[in-house]
Amino acid sequence: MDKTAHSSSDIKTASQAALLSLLNLTLLPIIAFSALLWIYNKTQPGTIARYHAELGIKTNLFAAIALFLVSALMIAFGGFDSAWTWVYVISYFTIVHTTFIIFAVWALVRSWSGEKLNKLM
Amino acid sequence: MRETFTKSMARNIYYGGAAFFFLIFLALTFDTVSGLSKTDNSQNLTGQVAEGKRLWEKNDCIGCHTLIGEGAYFAPELGNVFTRFGGSTEAIKAFIKSRPKNGIPNRRSMPQFNFSDEELEAIAQFLKYVDGITTARDWPPNKQG
Amino acid sequence: MKYKSQAVAKLYFTAAIGLFVGQILFGLIMGLQYVAGDFLFPEIPFNVARMVHTNLLIVWLLFGFMGSAYYLVPEESERELFSPMLAKLMFWVFLVAGALTILGYLLVPYATLADITMNDLLPTMGREFLEQPTITKLGIVVVALAFLYNIGMTILTGRKTVINLVLITGLIGLAVFFLFSFYNPDNLVMDKYFWWWVVHLWVEGVWELILGAILAFVLIKITGVDREIIEKWLYIIIAMTLITGIIGTGHHFFWIGTPDYWQWLGSVFSAMEPIPFFMMTLFAFNMVNKRRREHPNKAATLWALGTAVMAFLGAGVWGFLHTLAPVNYYTHGTQITAAHGHMAFYGAYVMVVLTMISYAMPIMRGNKANNERAQVLEMWSFWFMTVSMVFITLFLTGAGIMQVYLQRYSDAPIAFMAAQDKIAIFYWMREIAGLVFLVGLVLYVMSFFVKPGVKVNA
Repeated sequence: MDKTAHSSSDIKTASQAALLSLLNLTLLPIIAFSALLWIYNKTQPGTIARYHAELGIKTNLFAAIALFLVSALMIAFGGFDSAWTWVYVISYFTIVHTTFIIFAVWALVRSWSGEKLNKLM
Repeated sequence: MRETFTKSMARNIYYGGAAFFFLIFLALTFDTVSGLSKTDNSQNLTGQVAEGKRLWEKNDCIGCHTLIGEGAYFAPELGNVFTRFGGSTEAIKAFIKSRPKNGIPNRRSMPQFNFSDEELEAIAQFLKYVDGITTARDWPPNKQG
Repeated sequence: MKYKSQAVAKLYFTAAIGLFVGQILFGLIMGLQYVAGDFLFPEIPFNVARMVHTNLLIVWLLFGFMGSAYYLVPEESERELFSPMLAKLMFWVFLVAGALTILGYLLVPYATLADITMNDLLPTMGREFLEQPTITKLGIVVVALAFLYNIGMTILTGRKTVINLVLITGLIGLAVFFLFSFYNPDNLVMDKYFWWWVVHLWVEGVWELILGAILAFVLIKITGVDREIIEKWLYIIIAMTLITGIIGTGHHFFWIGTPDYWQWLGSVFSAMEPIPFFMMTLFAFNMVNKRRREHPNKAATLWALGTAVMAFLGAGVWGFLHTLAPVNYYTHGTQITAAHGHMAFYGAYVMVVLTMISYAMPIMRGNKANNERAQVLEMWSFWFMTVSMVFITLFLTGAGIMQVYLQRYSDAPIAFMAAQDKIAIFYWMREIAGLVFLVGLVLYVMSFFVKPGVKVNA
């Protein structure tokens, strides 16, 4: 663990990026993502800030696909007027969405201490 | 959660927030209770209805049924059973009375409580009274409960 | 263990686990009755099984809370418990009263139990979760008062930490709001309104204070993070709990004949109720990430993290799912409610008690942590129980969505029992998930008896 390698302003930017990632998943979709892209452009390659900005963008893109695309496919194939469609869509969306949120919380906590998701990555 | 936000600030939010919202809750409760007679069908709350409520409780009906949505989800909603049974207390009484003692093979069944006619009438009147309570948007959504 | 008198907690925890096993067995009976309606009929009708299931849960959680308090309050106060004798005496009083009540449910018809216990003098029985005979309720009050006196004197004459103060506030609130269980007016709307003062203000109010205090205590111990930081988090979490949760009671006042403004108030405030649970997740993750020591009790750490995540999932997310009035219009009183109830109680309260037991029990038995093999087994039981509870919740959610669609939302609504027949597959899957839960629980109990193995080189 080489925490000291990152400057405090770098950690601050990383924390902001991780927070925006979490916000995009919860209260401020799209708006938070735009801000996240803006932060990404300010970061330098190889820094912890860049790492968390990139992680946040990837997480949210992946979440968008997993949540909206898959749900849309479920509705498309299951039919809008079928009870079974909604059984799958609502249960799936809720549990997967929560999983992404929990993941983003962990990323946020790691960014606060200036660390990557785990020591190896 | 940084240095500028101190523990005593957090404590003040806790005490202040809790006290403030509890007082609001008390005020809302006062308002709710004082205006309740408009909706609660209390004009039809007779001694017989009260007796029916005692019987409802004494036999733990809430352990299987919901009553205006609250209770167990094993058996039908009874807040609107009077409507569902065509506005007939006789139909309600007949249903309760006819439950087989040993149940129905493989099916859920209501126990046979061996109520007297007087008790049956009280329970039916209680359910009629409950049906008369005015709920928002006339909940439940339809007569199936 | 710092103080000898903390050991009384062991009694409480043992009873809690025993009753937990009973609770799950009755849960399985009910689960089967959902699909094989005549199972054990008329000997144990569904309502009796349900009473036993829910009352055992409440009683064992209370044992768990009391045990936790008896363990942590002396350590926080830095003195022996005011009266270990009183704690032991109250344990037996509560256990015997609880056992007699459960036996009463099982051995005689409920109406007979009401007659024997002279319910007519002060009728309080027959309301959901408050089915206990009036004399049992009085017994609970006596036990609670003795308990509060004991804990209160310990805190008053010792060090007053934030954890202690939050815990005692929660416990006093628990006792005070229980008093509303004695108020049972003939007017059903009034009855329901104040019934929620017990039920909601317990589980979405003061119990969260107890939960927060226990979790904060365990996190201090296992992570070694500075107390100042943890206490600040604790304050802000419980502040959010009460700020959102008190008016949030309004989500129970949507359809019971109460004024329309509750639709707005209940929706808005209860939509914010996930916030404290969300913060709890953030808090627990953060403290574990910033830990200053590697505590040998890995299982306790897992339970603590699990509590934070599952409480957020069960109480926060699954609560939010059906808390907005326009949604609740359709979902109120369906299997959706059951789904939320299961995961919320497990995630928040069952898991926090098991966290405390996991941390404290090894210490009371003379070790800082259990041996490696016992811990591995305990962690297996964690995953079995937690994952199966996720599935129980998902299956009940599926059942609920289907039920809402068929019985409430559809253009041609079908009758309750007709809908139930159509969703039987979900109940079968729920029952199977329940059996997996039981396997997890058996592993959990076994983990207390695992002896250290011969060291194998790895």
